[in-house]
Amino acid sequence: MIELTHITKRFGSVLALDDVSLSIAPGERLAVVGENGAGKSSLMNVLYGLYHPDAGEVRFDGTPVKVKTPAEALARGVGMVHQHFTLVPTLTVAENVVLGAEPRRGGLLDLDAAIAQVQASCRRFGFSVDARARVDTLTVGSQQKVEIVKALHRGVGTLILDEPTAVLTPQEADELFAVTRALSESGLAVVLISHKLKEVLAFATRVAVMRRGKKVAEVRPAETSADALAELMVGEKAVSLPPGPLLAGRGEAALRVEHLRTDKLHDVSFSLHAGEILGIAGVDGNGQRELALVLTGLRDYTGTLELFGRRFPYLTPGQARAQGVAHIPEDRLHRAVVADLTVEENVALGRHAAPPFAKGPLIDFAGRRQRTAALLEANDVRPRDGTLRVGALSGGNQQKLVVGRELDGQPKVLVVVQPTRGLDIAAVAQVRRRLDEERRRGCAVLLVSLDLDEVLALSDRVLVFFEGRVTAELDRAHLDERLIGRRMLGVADA
Amino acid sequence: MRKSLSRALPSVLAVATSLVACFLAVGLTRGFGSAVDAFTAMLWGAFGDWPRYVETGNAGAVLRPLGEAGTKAALLTFTGLSVAVAFRVGLFNIGAQGQLMVGALAAAVVGAQVQLPPLVHVTACLLAAAVAGALYALGPALLKVHRGVHEVISTIMLNWIAVSLVENWLVVGPLRATASGDNSIPGTAQLHASAELPRLLGESSRLNLGFLLALLAAAGTWLFLSRFSKGYEWRAIGLNAEAARAGGIDVGKGLVHAMALAGAFAGLAGAVLVQGTELKYPASLGAPYGFDGIAMALIGSGHPLGVTAAALLFGGLRAGGTRMQLFGVHKSFPELIQGLALLLVAARLVWDRLLARLAKKKPPEEAARA
Repeated sequence: MIELTHITKRFGSVLALDDVSLSIAPGERLAVVGENGAGKSSLMNVLYGLYHPDAGEVRFDGTPVKVKTPAEALARGVGMVHQHFTLVPTLTVAENVVLGAEPRRGGLLDLDAAIAQVQASCRRFGFSVDARARVDTLTVGSQQKVEIVKALHRGVGTLILDEPTAVLTPQEADELFAVTRALSESGLAVVLISHKLKEVLAFATRVAVMRRGKKVAEVRPAETSADALAELMVGEKAVSLPPGPLLAGRGEAALRVEHLRTDKLHDVSFSLHAGEILGIAGVDGNGQRELALVLTGLRDYTGTLELFGRRFPYLTPGQARAQGVAHIPEDRLHRAVVADLTVEENVALGRHAAPPFAKGPLIDFAGRRQRTAALLEANDVRPRDGTLRVGALSGGNQQKLVVGRELDGQPKVLVVVQPTRGLDIAAVAQVRRRLDEERRRGCAVLLVSLDLDEVLALSDRVLVFFEGRVTAELDRAHLDERLIGRRMLGVADA
Repeated sequence: MRKSLSRALPSVLAVATSLVACFLAVGLTRGFGSAVDAFTAMLWGAFGDWPRYVETGNAGAVLRPLGEAGTKAALLTFTGLSVAVAFRVGLFNIGAQGQLMVGALAAAVVGAQVQLPPLVHVTACLLAAAVAGALYALGPALLKVHRGVHEVISTIMLNWIAVSLVENWLVVGPLRATASGDNSIPGTAQLHASAELPRLLGESSRLNLGFLLALLAAAGTWLFLSRFSKGYEWRAIGLNAEAARAGGIDVGKGLVHAMALAGAFAGLAGAVLVQGTELKYPASLGAPYGFDGIAMALIGSGHPLGVTAAALLFGGLRAGGTRMQLFGVHKSFPELIQGLALLLVAARLVWDRLLARLAKKKPPEEAARA
């Protein structure tokens, strides 16, 4: 039994956790839900020894304990799988799992013993992972399994999963829940941090709802509904895009590719028109990301690429931007923002040499500050402080910043990859609304998402990718979820 | 401003700890009386022998040490900037020493072989050195951008090529000064007087225009990095090249330009050495100022003003170090202080933790994750 009692944690002037109490019993599946910045992750980071509370205490079986480091948390049987994995990509699965507690023989790593141990653990916990495979050759879903096995291998009794399905395909998510459910039935306590209410309701035995640093409710799934939970989380009625047919405002072809090839794309041809959202559906790793990189000038290609009738034998990111191509990449800390620069400096990134961000060769500090303040306000980025490091913002606010920045320049073509990954309900709705607004404005939007519901909800047209090829093209009137599903898996029609 | 001051704190503490540790080392081996005497001598040698000036009224007692400190500080500032500028775009310029050598040679050749009016001549020599240094750094930059060759490897190799080419061949061979009478003179031919950097404090001190140029270069670099769009691009590249590239910044161009500037600064260090004090390319350049630049950049946290502060301090200590010999301490002792300070800066995590604990605040990483 783990109890968190009256936990309070401040970061500067921000109250991240405000007198939060929560208990975790063996064998239960506790879901902690809440918007971005509601304090879910902060609370779990307290339990995992990453944050030290300003007030309140953590009790293990009634004994107050100061958990100072993750190592201490692990020693007390608490394991955590983060959104960002902590694996060494060039090591094998076995080496990663035993890292920190390696079996030794004569002072050297006993690799055979490690492989045997890890294989045994995988079998015992019901994971199918090759212990000899190098981690960087695995899919994201398998890497996550390795993270979980790593925690279980240490014998943890409580497993915290921070947004585990954000990176998974639906099948992988189902598998994850099946396995963790079985583990919880044999006594493991599982804490699930999530935004996805459907999976929370299906998986959890108890749900704690957080809002602005406070625990606002604790409910049993049977006694509630997704709508009720959403309302508790947001504090007001949640917004979602209305279903139904979209506007048919399709215009000129903004972008055209023919026989496009890279090592991951094979002979891809299509056109993207002004005023439409073209959704790219596909299972992770079938070339969708590669396509986004090509179109934004980040990957070399062969074949024809035309932007507004102009042919580009090669495309640099600068050229793409000059043609009005904006990019909301999937991995914002890698490609979209510079974490160690300020919010203002990141708002300028990509158009830093032009007004209002520059005056001649000089930075226009006043212009930049003004534009940033307006952008933070318009996109509800919190806190409204342009001088903060972007790395100090929460993930959701970083994403709002990136979306706001990319749309700020009124792009003609917008390439978006997984724009709502890891966002809370309100933020998801906001981002989707922005994409829809862009489409209505006449922007040509290419939407890559692993969330098929998202693709279906927003797209005027859908291309299905399988192994770097387009296996189906459907327009909104003829969207057939089951056909798309088959084509995503490369299955021919019966 | 307060933020940048707190950023400097670990460096300041590292230097202070190093000074104390070295003081204790002398005290424990030579007795604390000697240690006090030696450190006092170093201090007067670094920043002017004020007591003697008061006693005798001899201005030279102050001006000469200050001149020595200033000339050394100028060289350290230039090479420190060279390494720091490369740092800011994420490159590690180990090649400042080689760039300094080719720069020094260029200045020596233009200064001795060409006849020009005074001001023009000085400028021409400086330019030649800057261009030579920049070109010498360009190779590694281009190899890095187009072939992915790691700049640490290529710049180290070019250092050795510079040693062989300049010191082991050109200076003792084709460019060697012609012997006058029976005396064979080591090094290249003497500079024309028109190529010498003007002295700033009269004849009693060797302080020359190079010192002001170094301060100007540091201020200019600081302004460039903090106020210019181009400088912003360099910082973005250094912090996250992939995001910079996605933002449309030409990362390759940024790396090449920054490396060229780094080379130019190292080349200028060579010019200031030749035109300010040596007045020719000597048989040996003496202290490896190019490598000391790495220490200045690290102790100065890669910030142009931090580099300048480090250079002023260690330039002073080195100038004063010669006086420590009178008390049985080797004159290279300041280099030991510098090395220890560098080690402590490299162990920065220790300071960050310690400061965080002292301030009873959260460590910076934790705040960043919030």
